[in-house]
Amino acid sequence: MHFNIIPGDIPLPLPTGGLEFMIPFFHGLLIVAWVVHILFINVLLGASLASVYFNNKGAKEKNPVFDRVGYLLTTPVTISENMGALWGVAPLLLVSILITPVFYSASIMNSPHWLHIIYGNIVAFLLSYLYKYTWHTLEHRKSLHLFIGVVGVALFFTLPLAFMSTVQLAMTPSTWTYDTHFWDVLLRSDTFFRLVHFYLATFAVTGVFMLIYGMYKRRSADATDREAGVILTRTGKSWFIVPTVLNFFVGPLVLFHFPSYGIEAFFNGGYHWLILLTVVLALFAIYQLLKDFFNDDLPPARVWTVVGVMVVAIISMASLRHGMRMGLIAPVMAASEAKTDTFQRESLAAFEEAKNAPKLVVETNVPPGKALAEKHGCLVCHSPDQKLVGPAYKDVATKGYSAEQIVALVHQPKPENWPGFPPMPPMTQVPAEDLQQIADWINSMK
Amino acid sequence: MFDYPIFDMPLIGHRLLFAFDAILHVFISHGAAVGGSVVLVLMQRLAIKNNDQKWDDLSYKILFTFFILATAVGALTGIGIWIHVNIINPAAIGALLRVFFWKWFVEWIVFNVEMIFLLWWFLTWKSSPLGTPAKQKHYKLGLTYCIASWFTMAIITAILGFMMTPGNWLKSYFPAEPDYLAALVNPSWIPSLGFRTFFSIAWAAAASMFLSWFFTRNDMELRQRAMKFLGNILLVCVPLFIMFGYWYYLQFPQAAKDLFWMGAITRRLAANPEYFYYLTFGLVGIVATGVLTLYAAPKRAPLVMAFFVLLGSMGLLAEFERIREFVRKPYIIYDYMYANGVRVADVPYLNKDGYLKHAAFVPPEYRTVTEANKLTAGKYLYQMQCRYCHTVNGVNSIKARIRNIGTDESVIYARIGALNSPATPFMPPFTGTDDERHALAAYLAYLVKDTVEADDALLAAGTPITVK
Repeated sequence: MHFNIIPGDIPLPLPTGGLEFMIPFFHGLLIVAWVVHILFINVLLGASLASVYFNNKGAKEKNPVFDRVGYLLTTPVTISENMGALWGVAPLLLVSILITPVFYSASIMNSPHWLHIIYGNIVAFLLSYLYKYTWHTLEHRKSLHLFIGVVGVALFFTLPLAFMSTVQLAMTPSTWTYDTHFWDVLLRSDTFFRLVHFYLATFAVTGVFMLIYGMYKRRSADATDREAGVILTRTGKSWFIVPTVLNFFVGPLVLFHFPSYGIEAFFNGGYHWLILLTVVLALFAIYQLLKDFFNDDLPPARVWTVVGVMVVAIISMASLRHGMRMGLIAPVMAASEAKTDTFQRESLAAFEEAKNAPKLVVETNVPPGKALAEKHGCLVCHSPDQKLVGPAYKDVATKGYSAEQIVALVHQPKPENWPGFPPMPPMTQVPAEDLQQIADWINSMK
Repeated sequence: MFDYPIFDMPLIGHRLLFAFDAILHVFISHGAAVGGSVVLVLMQRLAIKNNDQKWDDLSYKILFTFFILATAVGALTGIGIWIHVNIINPAAIGALLRVFFWKWFVEWIVFNVEMIFLLWWFLTWKSSPLGTPAKQKHYKLGLTYCIASWFTMAIITAILGFMMTPGNWLKSYFPAEPDYLAALVNPSWIPSLGFRTFFSIAWAAAASMFLSWFFTRNDMELRQRAMKFLGNILLVCVPLFIMFGYWYYLQFPQAAKDLFWMGAITRRLAANPEYFYYLTFGLVGIVATGVLTLYAAPKRAPLVMAFFVLLGSMGLLAEFERIREFVRKPYIIYDYMYANGVRVADVPYLNKDGYLKHAAFVPPEYRTVTEANKLTAGKYLYQMQCRYCHTVNGVNSIKARIRNIGTDESVIYARIGALNSPATPFMPPFTGTDDERHALAAYLAYLVKDTVEADDALLAAGTPITVK
């Protein structure tokens, strides 16, 4: 495999404290934190969409139960948007040290669009709060309320576009060019199928969440809440089953869109067995729900079996994905490390050489004024005998200023005295006593 | 640095883009989270003690505002600081993350506690009414949130202090080996933490005064009590943060102190350092007028006084952050890395071997300067070394800077050789070979010719410039 671009790594050690086992620990932590983050994001997207859907249905059919379902779903939205953002921090921290060169490069190539995950998120957050806290005040202005909800949900659904194209770009350094940008990546077919897979999984995860939430609401003391619990359970079943079945077909499309060297590494690592495990577990969960598909009083044991089986399936899925990621970037990471080492070695040699180089012969008998002019940076723009940015000092000397006049002019220059030259900024930081000596030196050039 | 792709932020530039996010974060995290939690816990305590429903309702209204701001804007702009630095200065944030990984990791765990208790405290406020045992328990949720949010600030402050601290955190340059403990316990940590703590509480009290003006429109008696209570908090905290602020100032390296007043205003006002005092005392005066009026005559104080308190405090906070960022120059990590991502120790090598030669995302044909490619090579050098602080046409425009010294290529070349000089002590030196310096001068001279072609070439980043 040929890679056009090999970025360098950060020349500081990984924070392992010298312990070998910290590296696999970091990878394990990354998988777990990543899963938690994605699950919260799934529920955020799914629950906010479902809330607007049931809000609309309740208004249309004038049915308070659907309205209650919509309102109940705003609480998991608040919790999962906050926890989702929070649990995005841990993976960010870990990828920033484990795969710095590929992750940073991809996020820069995708910028400024990458910033959408901040600014788009803030606006969506605020809209989701507006939607939630105006539920009762806008009761009689439903179209306005639904409009706020729809815009918020639509905005939340755009965030994975920025996110997925950056992750996909980071994972495929073989596709990098000197001129790769966000839209090139977003419109790629591999990014497309990953997004489809992700959005379908969003509905499936929200479905499982609804099974749990519905189970608790079915036991509520409030009659409307109990009915809302039944609706949640019914919705949860179909939201889990249909997208999961579709993902059996989208999954292989995602897999076979990766570059061939990555797929090879994937099979060589034995990760395909984890695909098999995930599919078997998902089929088992579907079977469990189908058995009780028309039973509104879904027993808790059934719910917890589905949850347990799916947690294992998700961890298996996350591990095989992690394997794919590492296989895809391994060649570039190795080359990057080698490149960084070479750079450090050569830089050290140059650093030592510069440190040990004999000091330049110090000019003796430098007039104190000249030394001070050097010290205060005057010689950046002026030279004793030739025009630089400003006039040569010998030309200044011919003006016949007194030393006091020169001091005043340095502190407050008069550009009109020197037509054709760019105006000099006032150099008030130079003390008057030093300027006195600089002026004497300038005037000595007459 | 040269290992990463180029992200160009036209017109507003990187500094303003970053400042927008960071200042927003500081306003909200200091006010609504760190300081706000202290003020609200104190308010809730008083409500429980006096069994005062009106006071409890006022506290909830303030908490509601702070909650929305802290979660939707404060937390996300905090993560935003990382995301922005990732794309603006990856070399610097990459280095910081490696030195401070575990501190950040601990902070993240504390951040979890903070977020969970904030959600818990806020979402269960109404279901734990005054006068019930549940309220006592509820009060403890707020207290935990308050302590956790202070801890997150304590850790971040260590990292900010470290960026200002020259010297001894690095045991060796090659291979780079940080002294993790020295990096944490840097001399400005405790003073800056004290400063930020009391500033935050004062700022939250000021913001609460502003909000209370609205929430007590129909209840002058409540307004009077609220303004007295919040005003007292302010009066206690202001002398404390001034004291800690002075102690903090003493920890700055001398070179940073010399840049102090310039950081406070803009370079354009370099001739008038007294503007620094006008600005600072002006802002302090505005805040003091607002606070004292609300404090002394809460019933008659007009809305404009509430705005004085809010805007004046925001101005002071923004000024402080700008100074802190500015005086660090020319470094981003003191004595270790320049503002443009070049490590200080790598300068001799890059000057000898060439900067572009190591730029991974520059097409190979531009890594060696030739007569034919020197404008494009110069453009890459500009983009990699200058655009950290300059834009072409917008904020801190490089064109305007060049026009100040004239458009002559040899003059520009001379100036590039002395960037880190007493005339501009805040600028990092140019890094690269003599050929590269000529290429940069050629590009900058070309830029200020102000032809239509020059502007078109700027817009199409990455396209080679043909010499006509």
